Amino acid sequence: MRFKSKVVLVTGGSRGIGTALVRRFVEEGARVYFTYLSSKAQAAEVVRLTGKPHQIFALACDVRKKKDVQKIVDEILEKESSLDILINNAGIIRDGLFLTMSDEDWSDVMETNLGGVYHFCKAVSKQMVTQGGGKIINISSVIAELGSCGQVNYAASKGAINAFTRSLAAELASKKVTVNALAPGMVNTRMSSAARAAFGDKIKDRIPLGDFAEPEEIASVVAFLASEDARYITGQIIAVDGGLSLLCRR
Amino acid sequence: MQNYNPEIVKNVKVIISQALKVDESKVTPHSSLVKDLGAESIDFLDIVFRLEKTFKIKIPKGELFPEKLLTDARFVKEGKIMPAGLEELQKKIPDADWAEFLKNPTIANLGDIFTVGMIVDYLSEKLAPANK
Repeated sequence: MRFKSKVVLVTGGSRGIGTALVRRFVEEGARVYFTYLSSKAQAAEVVRLTGKPHQIFALACDVRKKKDVQKIVDEILEKESSLDILINNAGIIRDGLFLTMSDEDWSDVMETNLGGVYHFCKAVSKQMVTQGGGKIINISSVIAELGSCGQVNYAASKGAINAFTRSLAAELASKKVTVNALAPGMVNTRMSSAARAAFGDKIKDRIPLGDFAEPEEIASVVAFLASEDARYITGQIIAVDGGLSLLCRR
Repeated sequence: MQNYNPEIVKNVKVIISQALKVDESKVTPHSSLVKDLGAESIDFLDIVFRLEKTFKIKIPKGELFPEKLLTDARFVKEGKIMPAGLEELQKKIPDADWAEFLKNPTIANLGDIFTVGMIVDYLSEKLAPANK
């Protein structure tokens, strides 16, 4: 029960890595608030599956909208005396070759992936500074450093998150607010299903550990970064990618 | 600070000691936030946030601790505050100890004029019934 009495906010918690994060923190005793964009039924199912409805709260929110984000954070702080851990997980992909990528696909990805991180950090960091500490963990991607055909928008958004993470960490460190990012490789989620289906073993061939991560394995590392065991870690981008970023072939 | 509302003084001392992690006994009216109490730039924001919360007021950006002014080329040149900048600063913070600062008016020394007493002055004025 590492997170008993802690208040955690997870963005994009109704599926994939987000759901694994929500479940992990609930299991470890935290009061967890999570956002979802549109699927109320899916969010309700996440709440039901934890079996602890008094400990988990689903909130509809478009992370691109500053006002929505501030409203969510204000609502939480009306009920809670602190907000200890923020996990910026909400993200989308709109893959396509750059030469034919629409402006809309570019801006949707940037506004959701990077804009969401910006809005939530802005809304939460004031509280964390005055409460004397907090943990912010941004979900990035190994693609930020590797490059990937058809993912210029996604890679740019995640690369920006890495840069954002380092600088915000430097600004907030003296207030005991740590800011780190986690860069997953290929994870068994719906978001990566198209790539996994299309390239299957070819991708596995590039992963030194030879398989994909489960969302729960990502949640384990996030839980570590959010714990007191990671007190001395800030401004870091932690790759959880089975060695994919080593760029070696087996 | 003995001439001021003791509630304001008491709360300011608590806020400063908590924000800067210093013993309350070290927080006196003449303590410089930077030189004596070790404040860094983010601490100024922390203090503003805490003041807003405790006194239930809104402190507009730059009203208590001028910041934008210091990046304005009209007011600052090569780290030194120009006469126009000094005039603006003195308007914003009339109660600061300007005599000492004017001997060497650099940005690096500006932190020295932000004192605990200055915050109490600011709050006393802001919370005065006529200003509500």
